[in-house]
Parts: sequence; structure tokens; C-alpha cells
Amino acid sequence: MIVEDGREVVIRVRGLAKSFGSHQIWESLDLDVYRGEILAIVGGSGQGKSVLMRVITGLVQPDAGIVTLFGIEEHALTPEARLAIEQRWGILFQDGALFSSLTVLQNIQVPMREHLDLPQSMMDDLAFLKLSMVGLPPEAAHKFPSELSGGMRKRAGLARALALDPEIVFLDEPTAGLDPIGATEFDHLIRKLQQTLGLTVYMVTHDLDTIFTVCDRVAVLADKKIVRTGSPAELQSKPDHPWIEEYFCGERARAASPAEERRVAG
Amino acid sequence: MLKRDNQFVLQTETEAPGFRVELRGTTFRLVATGAWTITEATVLDQELQRLKVPIPPSPDFTGEMDISGIAEIDTAGAWLLQRTAGAWQRGGLKTRYAGATDSFRILIEEVHRRGQAEKPDIDTVTPFKHFLETTKTSLAGIWRDTLALTSFLGEVSAASVRLIREPWRFRPVSFIHHLDHAGLRALPIIFLICFLIGAVVMQQGVVQLAYFGAEPMAVNMVAILSLREVGILLTSIMVAGRSGSAFTAEIGSMKMREEIDAMRTLGIDPMDTLVLPRVALGRRIAAAHLHGRHGRACRRRRHGLGHAGARPADLYRQAARDHQLSPFHGRHDQGAVRGRRHRAGRLSRGLRVAGSAESLGSHVTSAVVKAIFLVICIDGIFAMFLAGIGQ
Repeated sequence: MIVEDGREVVIRVRGLAKSFGSHQIWESLDLDVYRGEILAIVGGSGQGKSVLMRVITGLVQPDAGIVTLFGIEEHALTPEARLAIEQRWGILFQDGALFSSLTVLQNIQVPMREHLDLPQSMMDDLAFLKLSMVGLPPEAAHKFPSELSGGMRKRAGLARALALDPEIVFLDEPTAGLDPIGATEFDHLIRKLQQTLGLTVYMVTHDLDTIFTVCDRVAVLADKKIVRTGSPAELQSKPDHPWIEEYFCGERARAASPAEERRVAG
Repeated sequence: MLKRDNQFVLQTETEAPGFRVELRGTTFRLVATGAWTITEATVLDQELQRLKVPIPPSPDFTGEMDISGIAEIDTAGAWLLQRTAGAWQRGGLKTRYAGATDSFRILIEEVHRRGQAEKPDIDTVTPFKHFLETTKTSLAGIWRDTLALTSFLGEVSAASVRLIREPWRFRPVSFIHHLDHAGLRALPIIFLICFLIGAVVMQQGVVQLAYFGAEPMAVNMVAILSLREVGILLTSIMVAGRSGSAFTAEIGSMKMREEIDAMRTLGIDPMDTLVLPRVALGRRIAAAHLHGRHGRACRRRRHGLGHAGARPADLYRQAARDHQLSPFHGRHDQGAVRGRRHRAGRLSRGLRVAGSAESLGSHVTSAVVKAIFLVICIDGIFAMFLAGIGQ
């Protein structure tokens, strides 16, 4: 376990480099994710925000660098240890990535079925519980993903990510494609679940409202590395970087802030 | 999962979960310890199921869930506790929690609140009713398919006629591309299959005809067999399987990603851009049939040599006569019609793919199966028709 400033570091990334063909996206990227925080990764298009999530979750191999998960270096993981770690995180992909041939309820039960040996009645009850926690009506349980709206698919995807009560959830653009009301509800949902379940949330986002409403810390990807981390308010008051200035002090950011009074009571 | 001291509990430090029930004064206490998490839920569930609900001797007895010994808890653990507390409550014991941290309390309250929701029933059907339902849907499906295919053929024909009037609508690049992919690149495999089947039939024919001393006739037999039936059928089936699945998958995935809708809104008719270049291929496929035939004819001759011991010149003469005798042109047209027909079936399938990966998969399969089925059906009809008109 890595402890820094009295907080546990659940994910530590050091010296990460990755290039696709001749295009190098990071040279040397460092990042820490602390237990219990909501961290937002922001950056311009093509800066590798989603790729970073994929590297941390082991879907993409980096060219160089070390990823440490729960104090264990990723490349040193045995297949069994990797399996154990995979049960400690949940991932919400951009469009939910629900299995289209299974109903919502079956989708939520997939991780339980795969990793544990629970009685069916208990899996049903737990899946309904998760469904209700993410704000879906019980009627949605027996629907197929293609019968759901985009917002409902995201919620169902989140319920599947939470199926095993993970310690970390990765959210890839959680509010993209939702209307402002739906997006605000989703922000509140994330904050509420984070408090209820004691989650660490790692999210890739573009949404300034989300950042100002729910995020504890923001990490900015630019110039092939993480150029700054800090609370949304800090970044807004002292940008110190042209991209951050444009992002946090631009027209849209002014509409989304002032941050403090809009924060969901934590 | 939530940890009692919230920050620093290593996985290995947590003890195995457990509980005991005791009576202290007028309070039944369930004292829970260890990690109440989903990984331990099966064992806990079994033990809690076995636990009898205490029967209060008098109404002033109460229940208590003492969770001060719980180091970790998650939704599953909270749900188990809540289920037990609910059972006690229903049994007449007023039950409360003791020793919960703030975060534990939030979780337990949330689980309690969420657990109230009614669950919808899934309609269960008897096997017999299910059988009737499936029969009904598949019969309706056949009818719907027939209608859809007919209307699609109509659309294709209308588009083809329009193409004659407005030839600039034709997409030569797309046509050549598909010509290469589904036509030219299919030739080697069609050639190989036809050759192998021809060789097998020849070999068997020679062996069987030897009983009558008619080995040289094996050449005629194979020539007629492959020119009239097997060659065309084989080529059709190969093409249906090979490029048919590819077309359905390609157009189907375009439909899924709304590319077809995008085309329509941009004023591009998917008929012109996607369907016609592929349907025009039907004609090319007819040419592939021809190719298959010739391929087999050559091999057959060479093969026949070894087996029947005939003179090469005779065999060539025989085969040449077969070519003239065979209803060459009629058959060629038949091949063309068939090619178009199964192609159209597949394309209409592609356009009907709806939303999911499973839907795509099932449409691809059914496109190929139906294409092969149609090919064989039409082959039978043509065989009877041509025999009827004396060809």
C-alpha cells in the first residue's frame, strides 16, 4: 500500500509513454489517484484521456512506464492476482457497453455469476437493489439494452459496474449524450453512490458542470503529460497554462461556475 | 466496499465474517463480526437462512443488530443484515442497529429504502404455450419474409429501371470494388471446390459404370451432371455463403451505426449506392458459374484419362459435344436469375438488422441459410421447367 500525505494511493502511474504509429500521445505521464476521491481527467481531443483509462485497466499496453494498482505493480501481476484486482474495480464505458443479448438484470448479474457462486434468488435481489440504486425503475430489469434510451443504458451500465461493490469505478464520459437534466441527475447519482458505497471515482469527462459539481480533483492532460492537478476552484483561480486558462476561464466555464455554492453537499 | 476506519485496512487483515445471537436482558442481539462482503455472501446467506427468528416472550422484547465488530461491509452485506432485521421486525421484535459508523449507516439506510421496491414478475409460459407461440411467430415470419423479399425485389427492379433512364446514378467504383471482392477473389475457392467435387464424382462414376463396361460414359455423365446441376448449384452455394454473409454483415453494421440513415438524409439513395452495385454482381456471379463449369470440365477430362484409359482426343471430342448439347444459354440465364435473387435476399436482410450485435449475427446466419435454400428451390423449379419445355 502506498501512502502519501496521509491518504492511500490506489492507483499510481509513473513515466507512462505510449505512441500510436508516429503519433506520440504521452512522453512521461505521472498520476496518483487517492482512495475515496472523485477525480476528473480533462484534456483536449487526442490527448489520450480514454487511452489512459484503458492503460490503467490493462486493455492497452503502454510502451513504457509503471502502473501500480492497490500497491501492486501491474506488470508483475499473475493471472490470478489480476482476476482478483478486476473484481475490485468497475468500468462504465461510454455507451454502457451492455451485452445486447442479455436483459438488464442478466447484465448486472454477469460479474456475480462469473466471479462468485451466489444463489439465484440472492443475485436477483442484489441486482434489483443495484438497479434501484442507479435510479432505474424495476420494470427496466427485463428489458434488453436495445429497448432502453441512452441515459437508461448508462445507468444500467453503471449498475453492472457496481455489481460486485468495487472500490474504484472508472467512468468514460458519463454525461456525454445526456440532456442537461439527465446529466445533472447523473452527477448527483455519482456523488451519492460515491458517499454510500465509499467509492473512488476516476472519470474522463468534458463536462464543466460535472467537474464543478462533483469532482474533488482534476488532472489536466496536455503537452503529452499531466500538466497540473488540483481542485476545480484552484485550477480556475490559478490556471498557469494556456489550455487550462482557456478551458476553466472560457465562456462555458463562466457559465458553469461559480463552483462552491453549486457543489452537492458532501 | 466500506471499511470501518475508512482508510487503512489491508485485505489480509480482515477476519472471516461471522455472527452469533445472544439474549441480553430483554434484547435479542445479533452480533456480527468480520467482513460482510459479497465474496462471503454465500456462506453468510446459508447460515442466516438456518437462523430461526427469535420469538419474543412478551411485547417489550427488542432486537438489536450489533455491527460494531464488522470491519468491512458492502451492499450484499447490508442487504443480508437488512433481510434478517426485517424478518425479526415482522416477528414482532422492534429491531435497531448498534455500533454503525456514519458511512455504514448511510449504506444500510439506502439498502433498506431501495429494498422496498416491488419487483415485477416475469411472465412464465408453459412449454406447450411456448411451442405454439414460436410456431406462430415463425409462420408469421415466413410470410413477412416473403412479403419483404418481394417488395425489396420490386424496389431493386424499380431502381434498375431508373438506372437505365439515369445512367449517371450508377457507381462504377463501387461496382468494380465488389466485382473484385465477391467475384474475382471468389474464383480460386469456387474453382477448387468444383474441381474436387468433379474429381470425386468422376472417380465414383468410373467405379460404378465399370460393372456395365461403360467407363468412358463416366465422362458424359460428369459433363451433364456438372453443367446442368451440380456446378451451378455449388457455385451459388459457395457465393451465397462466402459473400452473402459478408454483405449482410457489412450493410447490417452500417445500419447499426446509422450510416444508412445518414445516407438517406444526405439525399443518397442506399439502393443506388449499396444495393445496385452488389445486385449487378449477380451477373458477374453467372460468369463465375461458367468459370466453375469450365474448371470442372478440364479436370474431368484429365482425371478421366487415368481411370477409364480412354484416348485423350476422344474425351475432348465427347466433352465438346456435351457443351454444344447442353442447354448452355438457358442455364446461364438461370444462374443469373438465381444470383440476383439470393443476393437480393441477403441485402434486404442487411437493411433489416436492428440495433444489437445478436440481431446482426442472427440476420447474417438466416441470410445465408435462406439464400442457400432459395438457390436450391429455384434450381428445382428451373430443372422441372427446362425439362418440361424439352431442353
